[in-house]
Amino acid sequence: MMTRQISTALPIFLIIYVIQEAVLNQFRLPGGGFSLLLIFTLVWAVLSSPEIAAFSGFTAGLLMDLSGSSSGPIGQWTLLMVAACYAVSYFGSGNESLYGNPLGFTLFTTSAVFFIELAYVVTGALLGVQSGSFAQILITIFGISLWSLVATPIFLPFFSRLHALVFNTRSAI
Amino acid sequence: MRRVGEGHSRLLLIILIVTALFLITLDLRGVGVLEGARQGTQTALSPFQKAGSVVINPIKNFFSDVTHLGRTRNEIEKLRLDNAKLRANLINRKNADAQLGQLKSILNLAGIAQYKVINARVISQGSSQSFSQTITIDAGSNAGIKKNMTVLSENGIAGVVKDVYPSTALISLATDPSFNIGVRIAGSQQIGILSGRGNRSAGLQLIDNLTNVKVGDVLLSRGSIANRPFVPGVPVGYVTAVDNSAGSIAQSATVHLYTNFATLGVVAVVVGAPVNNPGDALVPAKPEPTPVPTVTIYITPSPTPTN
Repeated sequence: MMTRQISTALPIFLIIYVIQEAVLNQFRLPGGGFSLLLIFTLVWAVLSSPEIAAFSGFTAGLLMDLSGSSSGPIGQWTLLMVAACYAVSYFGSGNESLYGNPLGFTLFTTSAVFFIELAYVVTGALLGVQSGSFAQILITIFGISLWSLVATPIFLPFFSRLHALVFNTRSAI
Repeated sequence: MRRVGEGHSRLLLIILIVTALFLITLDLRGVGVLEGARQGTQTALSPFQKAGSVVINPIKNFFSDVTHLGRTRNEIEKLRLDNAKLRANLINRKNADAQLGQLKSILNLAGIAQYKVINARVISQGSSQSFSQTITIDAGSNAGIKKNMTVLSENGIAGVVKDVYPSTALISLATDPSFNIGVRIAGSQQIGILSGRGNRSAGLQLIDNLTNVKVGDVLLSRGSIANRPFVPGVPVGYVTAVDNSAGSIAQSATVHLYTNFATLGVVAVVVGAPVNNPGDALVPAKPEPTPVPTVTIYITPSPTPTN
């Protein structure tokens, strides 16, 4: 059952990744823009069980690592995404206060984006990746978080329905 | 909140985390398979990026216009006037002509220094989620581009080739925090190291503390062994502020980079360096001040009536 669901979800992750790399990366939005794949994976993780969330995080993280513009070593995004998706699923999956509340869901996802980016900088520093000046990092993290706050409610209904379609559940958001 | 009691779930998490740590270790140890995977992904993505570039360009121009609205009123007024003139002159060929202009400037720059260059269009900007500043161009190893080659814009240095794929190449911009280049001051020939800071302003660290750097000094690339990654003589930027704090080991300064990274449409990759160092030949001409007309008014006092 889980294998079938994962194999159905994989092409969706690939399509989102291609959209991110071929379309969204064309724009240089002020403050850094947003990562559709990151938002999608987090929404997917909140709606899924921790096992599925960890797998989703692994897939998305690996794709992000394989991106040419990724500055860190291969595996850095994978590690962070596995941990983050498991954590958001653990706290979010089955949480009724999130499921019936799109605003709460958006804030939860945006906070997750903020902490993931922060963790990326910290782990990057430990691995010797140069991320720029403190001010620049702060601007980028807050910029990406703000853009995620704007983008998440736009894509949330679509992602939620897609999840419901793959897992044969009722979309609650 | 869900209770995760099953050992199965935790075991899976541990396996995935260990796999990720394994990948990091392999990559940091320089295992070629992983780099090949990244190259393969970029090769597979390049047709999508090219198609995306063609489709998205008009929308991108619109967003670019919107995001630059926060300037001063005078600049906006000036831009409006310029825009009106441009619209009148370049109705349907705005994008193509802009790229042609950039190309002409690049070729002019390369021609003076006798650099052998390959021109390429920018097809994708790097994602900012990883805190790196990169672009992807539509020419790669098939066109003769190799890793660690200098990349020029119309005004000077744009970056360096970070990775090469058959039909595309990834360029690390001069604004990237990991970007470092040996520079010399035009005229005095003093040398230093310039580092990217994530925006158009870069940091300069001079080697010799006795060097006297001043605002307005022009910086050129010093060149590398076998001209890779940097060919000599390329304009980099000019000094905007000097840090003269007492006790510092080496003098430092803030540099404004010549290249406008927000409008990069066409770049040139230097595939062949000149036999002779071009020296200061590429130092950009200082802008000539616009003469301000002076109006002199002579007033002859009328004689005061005396009683």
